[in-house]
Amino acid sequence: MYRYDQFDARFVAGRVAQFSDQIERRISGELSEDQFRPLRLMNGLYLQLHAYMLRVAVPYGTMNSAQLRKLAHIARTYDRGYGHFTTRQNIQFNWPRLDDVPQILSELAEVEMHAIQTSGNCIRNVTTDQFAGAAADEIIDPRPVAEIIRQWSSLHPEFTFLPRKFKIAITGAAHDRAAIKFHDIGLMARRNEAGEIGWTVHVGGGMGRTPMVARKLNSFVPHADLLAYLESILRVYNRYGRRDNKYKARIKILVREEGLASFREQVESEFSEVRGGVLSLPEDELNRIKTYFAPPEFKDSDARFDLAALKVSDPEFARFVVHNTHQHARPGYTSVTISLKPVGGVPGDATDTQMDIVADLVERFSFDELRVSHEQNLVLPHVAIGDVRSVYEALCAAGLGEANVGQITDMIVCPGLDYCALANARSIPVAQEISKRFGSAKRQEEIGDLKIKISGCINACGHHHGGHIGILGVEKRGTELYQITVGGDASENAAIGNILGRGITGEEVPDAIERLVEVYLGARSGADESFLNTLSRLGETPFREALYGND
Amino acid sequence: MEMIEHSSHTDAARRAGGESWLAAFGIMALNSMFGQKDASGVLRMAIEDLLVDDLAVVSSFGADSAVLLHMVCAINPDLPVLFLQTGRHFDQTLAYVKTLSDRLGLTNVQTLVPDSDQLARFDPDADLWKSDPDSCCHIRKTEPLDKALSGFGGWVTGRKRHQTQERGVLSHFELTDDKRIKVNPLAYWDEEDVAAYKKVHNLPEHPLFGSGFTSIGCAPCTSAVTTGEGARAGRWRGLNKTECGIHFDVNKRISPAMAKAELTLFRDGRFVADPWGKWVEGPAPSEARYAHVPLAQFVANRTAYLAGPHPLGLLVGAGDNVEEVASDLSRFSSIAIEFRTFTDGRGYSSARLLVERMGYKGELRAVGDVLVDQIPLMRRCGINAFVVGHAATRKALEQGVQSAIDVFMQPVGVDEIPLGTRCFLRRANHSNS
Ligand code: SF4
Ligand code: SF4
Repeated sequence: MYRYDQFDARFVAGRVAQFSDQIERRISGELSEDQFRPLRLMNGLYLQLHAYMLRVAVPYGTMNSAQLRKLAHIARTYDRGYGHFTTRQNIQFNWPRLDDVPQILSELAEVEMHAIQTSGNCIRNVTTDQFAGAAADEIIDPRPVAEIIRQWSSLHPEFTFLPRKFKIAITGAAHDRAAIKFHDIGLMARRNEAGEIGWTVHVGGGMGRTPMVARKLNSFVPHADLLAYLESILRVYNRYGRRDNKYKARIKILVREEGLASFREQVESEFSEVRGGVLSLPEDELNRIKTYFAPPEFKDSDARFDLAALKVSDPEFARFVVHNTHQHARPGYTSVTISLKPVGGVPGDATDTQMDIVADLVERFSFDELRVSHEQNLVLPHVAIGDVRSVYEALCAAGLGEANVGQITDMIVCPGLDYCALANARSIPVAQEISKRFGSAKRQEEIGDLKIKISGCINACGHHHGGHIGILGVEKRGTELYQITVGGDASENAAIGNILGRGITGEEVPDAIERLVEVYLGARSGADESFLNTLSRLGETPFREALYGND
Repeated sequence: MEMIEHSSHTDAARRAGGESWLAAFGIMALNSMFGQKDASGVLRMAIEDLLVDDLAVVSSFGADSAVLLHMVCAINPDLPVLFLQTGRHFDQTLAYVKTLSDRLGLTNVQTLVPDSDQLARFDPDADLWKSDPDSCCHIRKTEPLDKALSGFGGWVTGRKRHQTQERGVLSHFELTDDKRIKVNPLAYWDEEDVAAYKKVHNLPEHPLFGSGFTSIGCAPCTSAVTTGEGARAGRWRGLNKTECGIHFDVNKRISPAMAKAELTLFRDGRFVADPWGKWVEGPAPSEARYAHVPLAQFVANRTAYLAGPHPLGLLVGAGDNVEEVASDLSRFSSIAIEFRTFTDGRGYSSARLLVERMGYKGELRAVGDVLVDQIPLMRRCGINAFVVGHAATRKALEQGVQSAIDVFMQPVGVDEIPLGTRCFLRRANHSNS
């Protein structure tokens, strides 16, 4: 993985010193909250319902054991013993004290971590496929390019006060596990006719109150031009993005209002000015960065899971293998997903002890590499197949052995009214109820892969628009209600879910989900027809009727 | 001697040199550039660099006037010399105007006369000086001079510190309330310096000088001084009046010495007085001077602004497209980028386009919501001057704020170019001052 050189270290240390000084000036009263807000946001510090929240960047979701241990230490020392992994592959601490923040940041800097640009109207942490550099279906490991984008966007002086936040996602595989089409810019690797690898650039995707699937802006941008192209997009956005209304300030609105063709024209005209200039990425520079991401010393083997036998001898473990492992590019290896969605638990949370235990596994079994997925799970990317059983046992002992990845209880859930000042409704308790309802392994097995996503308000941090079933908290005359959507898809076939009808109360939600699932199970042509396929075959009507009757 | 009304210069071509110099100057710096007695140096700077074709000398053709006019002739005998013909001068003075002009070779003496309507209304019997000398001076001196000076960016006076108590803080260069530069080459000269200069250069004296008139104005208001009195003691004798109005600012004080003026512009590592005024709607484009014209205004009257004779600035608002003035940049001595709120980042793009794409090299100032935490970002985008109102920001700049971050992760600006073997994106910050 990427390691800081002296340069990065100096950069981050400088940033810590700068923000520490700003905090001091805030505490002394020299800075007003209005003046402090954008500064703290750019350093990942939010003011939440009850306290400050510190969001720490995990660039493109990659960490080592020392970093995870440091996060455990911070959870233990400065917080209430846990951290929350987010859909942006970051980790949030919910209870730090303002005057502890400089200390936390300098401890993070010791392990090459920071909170720079995890919020604020700037270019946020770049996210990617959690299986990057490991997945069998990958065209290219996107992390070197993600790292280059991270460097380019770090404290970019021109793009620090954009109209609104800006999110970039990148994937090197044809199967999109990073929801790139729900990002301001989504990059997908592609091989052109000449066999060269470049990037298809999508623009203007996003969740929020105006969900949009990103549109294709350019089907092939070579490596060398990528930064120049990104800078062109950002400049057009910085200059012409709306600033009069914060709900219309994302780039998706600019693209919609200008029209894709005219937006493209503006980007191309800017690109024609900057292309070939100082931002061109030399091949040897790319190669230099690539060496940081060189594959570990794999010992290929022909080890494989004998699932048929396992299902008889060790059914629980077999289930873990089926759901929580992902095919690796190298023979004899697999990627293991650690579910942070225990039945009835808080999705995405991990305690300090759990983090320490995972850190040990990372070190022993995964070449000291860990990933955070945008679905709020952790991933050991490179585990020898022969070691998976040991990993599984250790996880079970730590309460992390849930074999539900991709299943109905593996939900993406935002913090909601329990933490978030913007929330209309709770999301965590709703998720916990659903999780209990569908908790049995047998039931989940029967249903198969089904993605439920829950947001506590229209800001859609829980990606409900992209859930096969989405749940959105709304508020009506003082009561918390939930709207149900179906048909969302965050994969390469990105689609936005449709609302089925009026909102229902929290108590009604588990039953409602149950009824939707029953419609699906009753109507699917076979166990291999997915929820989305059944839905598109039947249309929404039977689902709507199951919820509301015929009225 | 011809009697003409002053007409403003329109020859834009002659401006070229001074403008670019002006774009880089700070008036504080000017005042520390010259030795106290280096009157010629001050004058040369003003005539040849600072206010090229935008400068006039105001002379009373009084007792000491020969000194300054002699120096002017040595540099440029064609420089406009404004003489206020109040109508109340001694005949000897009017004769001396001619003697001195001929002797020195002044080619451009312009006589300013009071408005006849005003005289008829307020001073029909020519005795206003008795009852209300301030108003008399106003009609006969201040108004004609103001009118004439509106065509100039600055003017030269012969005032000296030693003359009166109020003039004791005079410096070489001052900024007046209406943003003109007042040049006082003789600020630090005393009577002996003047006498010695006259002697060395064998300058003709004012006819009355020998008769005890050491400072000579209008006949009714000037009397001879006796030994031991100050040189100007004979002016408005018996009245609590020491200045005639042309050296007052609107508050009836002598315009403040620059050292005391408000220093709001930060550039080149320190605060200096801002020679640029606020843009006001109204004056014709040809009259615009030392103000930042809003971009839309400029574009709508491009030809007139381009032809205008005075130093001009441009105000780039947040939503403005700098591309529209790409070919006009050489006209501006200063460009101001407006940050209406510090969270509006459009100005960073405008700055980069001006500097990096269009090659603008002059003063690029941030105005509006300029706060210390944004200044390092602004600098990287090419902004080199800051108009600062926020007290804490001011303090930080005075203390020489340094960004804690001294390395860059991406190349921005014209001098952040790739350095050899380093990662192509990154380099140490070497312009953090
Ligand atoms: S979706 Fe709404 S409630 Fe949930 S975290 Fe985001 S802002 Fe808060
Ligand atoms: S000096 Fe005397 S006469 Fe001359 S303008 Fe002033 S008041 Fe009038």
